[in-house]
Amino acid sequence: MNYKLVFRLLGRLLLTEAALMLPSLGVSLIYGQGDTLAFLCAIAITAVVGALLSFLLKPEREDLTARDGMAVAGLSWVILSFFGALPFVLSGAIPHMVDAYFEAVSGFTTTGSTILTEIEHLPKGVLFWRSFTHWIGGMGVLVFTLAVLPRLSGRTSHLARAESPGPTFSKLLPKMSDTAKMLYMLYFALTAIEAVCLLLAGMNLYDALIHALSTAGTGGFSNYNASVGAFHSPLIEWIIGIFMMLFGINFAIYFHMLRREKEPILQNEELWTYLAIVAGATLLITLNILPRYDGFFEALRNAFFQVTSIVSTTGFGSADFNVWPLFSKTLLLLLLCLGACAGSTAGGFKLSRVLLLGKSAYRDLEHTIQPRKVAVVRLEGKAVQESTLAQVGVYLSLWVVLAVLGTLLLSLGQTDFVTAFTAVLTTLSNVGPGLNGVGPTENFAFFSPAAKLLLSFMMLAGRLEIYPILLLFAPHVWRKN
Amino acid sequence: MQIIIIGGGKLGISLAQHLVDEGHNVTMIDRSEAVVQKTMDTMDAMFIHGSGVSADTLKEADVQHTDIVIAVTMSDEVNMLACLTAKKLGAQYTIARIRDPEYLNTLSFLQKELSIDYAINPERATAREISRMLRFPFAGSIETFARGRVEMVDFRAAEGDPVVGLPMKEMYRVNKQLPQVLFCAVERGGEIIIPKGDFVIKPGDRVHVVSDVETITRFFSALGKGMSTIRSVMVMGGSRIAFYLVSMLVRMKMKVSVIEVKKDKARRLADSLPGATIIEGDGTDQELLQSEGLADTHAFITLSDRDEENLMAGFYAAQQGVKKVIVKSSRDTYSGIMHNMGLDSIISTKSVATNDILRVVRSRSSRANAAVQRMYRLMDGQAEALEFIAQAGDKYIHVPLKNLQIIPDALIAVIVREGQVKVPFGNDTIEVGDYVVVISRKAGLSSLGQVFR
Repeated sequence: MNYKLVFRLLGRLLLTEAALMLPSLGVSLIYGQGDTLAFLCAIAITAVVGALLSFLLKPEREDLTARDGMAVAGLSWVILSFFGALPFVLSGAIPHMVDAYFEAVSGFTTTGSTILTEIEHLPKGVLFWRSFTHWIGGMGVLVFTLAVLPRLSGRTSHLARAESPGPTFSKLLPKMSDTAKMLYMLYFALTAIEAVCLLLAGMNLYDALIHALSTAGTGGFSNYNASVGAFHSPLIEWIIGIFMMLFGINFAIYFHMLRREKEPILQNEELWTYLAIVAGATLLITLNILPRYDGFFEALRNAFFQVTSIVSTTGFGSADFNVWPLFSKTLLLLLLCLGACAGSTAGGFKLSRVLLLGKSAYRDLEHTIQPRKVAVVRLEGKAVQESTLAQVGVYLSLWVVLAVLGTLLLSLGQTDFVTAFTAVLTTLSNVGPGLNGVGPTENFAFFSPAAKLLLSFMMLAGRLEIYPILLLFAPHVWRKN
Repeated sequence: MQIIIIGGGKLGISLAQHLVDEGHNVTMIDRSEAVVQKTMDTMDAMFIHGSGVSADTLKEADVQHTDIVIAVTMSDEVNMLACLTAKKLGAQYTIARIRDPEYLNTLSFLQKELSIDYAINPERATAREISRMLRFPFAGSIETFARGRVEMVDFRAAEGDPVVGLPMKEMYRVNKQLPQVLFCAVERGGEIIIPKGDFVIKPGDRVHVVSDVETITRFFSALGKGMSTIRSVMVMGGSRIAFYLVSMLVRMKMKVSVIEVKKDKARRLADSLPGATIIEGDGTDQELLQSEGLADTHAFITLSDRDEENLMAGFYAAQQGVKKVIVKSSRDTYSGIMHNMGLDSIISTKSVATNDILRVVRSRSSRANAAVQRMYRLMDGQAEALEFIAQAGDKYIHVPLKNLQIIPDALIAVIVREGQVKVPFGNDTIEVGDYVVVISRKAGLSSLGQVFR
């Protein structure tokens, strides 16, 4: 590893993070609930460490290799979460470092699992920072850095690729910095539209911003214990439900809409499958839970909200689905593993991977009947490389191995299998709530510090799609070159 | 500018890298997935897997909003068709590589009918450059400016040359009889230096001087490197460049022999080049070279497709005392090694073509007439020599040069006014219509105005 270059890049990222803490500092100043000093200290510490790293290190070689790119992606998320936890600890909102780290990782990875039992009494600046980490983590802090900093280094597409979700990475525009800018512009615009809608639906500005930021990153932190359910407003639930669904869509689709290009949208199989899954799951769950609610529309609203919340891996709650019939719970669990579209802010396994797996399975079946037939797997009308298919298969096995090993380790201190299993799944998919002990009305406070670190690891692995985090454990990566 | 490059071969990749570095938005189309994969990791450009002649692929590359389409695939026909399709779909300007000798005579007709705005034939351009080098055997390379009135020539300074060991400002006081040329750039240890008044030339430096043709000639005779003419040439490798070069040399009444290892290729050359001697044999075979009279040839040129063969044969010829050895190499990394080992004349088809296309792109990106007229890159792009025409209305017109702030590491080398070539001093001015030659270490200048602060 080119240590000097990697740590200088990390220094730049910390400077970016310090700048990103400024809005929260502003909020804490407005409300004056005693968290201003914590933010000032956190910003100072982050900025000083960042400045030292980025100005004192002078790398001999400037080109970033693929290996170093992966290392930067993995390390940066581990380190950003550490510094992102400072405001929680310094303000006393979350006194223990492990708890604060869990909360920060949960924020940046847009998971939304929380260890907080009493949210509503916390200072508003801290709560704003909590949701703001979702927003930063959703599109990716490396992508943000690429958008605002002029040319970190020649070969920056490694960085964006390590951070963007999905089996393949494609640029929208020829230049990486233009692509990053375009993505953030679309992201910002959609977030702003949602905030305005929520304001019109009767939220106050602070609540509207918190929920818009958390929805945009598909995170799920709310500033109320009862999450979105606290508003008791069907209109707000519909708005957030729809926006959760929208943020689960590949941002390239919005780019094509902006350019008035119809064909790429019509051809996008992943998009239509996604919409079909949302519609189908909503309908099935509505019918399943109909007896528990008065009237079809209330059941429909609750079903739609839970489905979009889970499939987009946001994890907002409006109803306790832990008490729903088993069929609905199982269906939600499936959606939880599935995740939404590649190239969105959502986590999970990603629909395009599932499509590719399904298609190659079908092709292999065909192959047993007609062994000499040459068939090409297509996605979005284009032939998919055999190497990509193989990678998807490997990714599936890694995902399963992580889920199984995680459950095994977590079960050391647990009594309930469903709690342990769904806690691992929900963190690996970056959703937030699971079932039973980690259900939508529960939280993660009762886990031991070791278990919290394990789940933090799961969240980071899920957000960065396993490789960058796993590579940090390979001695080869740390070898000096 | 929005630029599409079709074909990710050696030339395509080199072009893409330079254009990205100059800040353009580059989209590359190639049919090989492997090429796309490999370059995607290292270059900040967009890559599309597909064929450049397919309208769908071109549309995916957003050809409607593209300023320049450059087609440099292996096949001339694909390049022509890709340009035609791109133009019909709305591309502003098209450049095609067309290099087959078969198209030589119909080129202007094809260009017009297929709406190709600029056709390049790198092999022919390379041949032309080699033939120019042969006319001035003492120089590593010769570049011309202002319609041939000004030349920039580089040579290797040797122990005992009157220019060695004196600071620039002393040189003409000591050597009063030395014709006045401008020392515009010096290559030393792999780096380009733009010499200032107290700079001292050491033996082994490659010195670039610029002046009008006559002064340059007198300068070199004063240095004792006068014109020794080349009358017999041996060419190793019967490639396309060899075809173009030999037909030029034969017209110049030189005695030419070509060594080609493949029988059918040798036969075809013998058929199309009746004025030359074609020998079937291996150009790296030293006995063969000797028996064909290597010791008596004035120049030895290696044009085979393999860099390593060219290099070894070139060294051998230089060792045998051949006056002028020119080596073709397509790998930039080799040129440093060759310079160090004393081979000065290295030519690369890729860089000839890259220079040519970069000049066209730059002249498209600046104002209609203020454009770069000529452009040469020194030492693999470490410095550039550019020719501009001064435009009415620009702020530098009619201002004494001493009152103008020139950007660092740039130099106004010569000003040509009404055919008179002048090495400028502080009191001189640039007037409308002057040819101005600028040497700069900053890449990417596209108009004369950018030279001044």
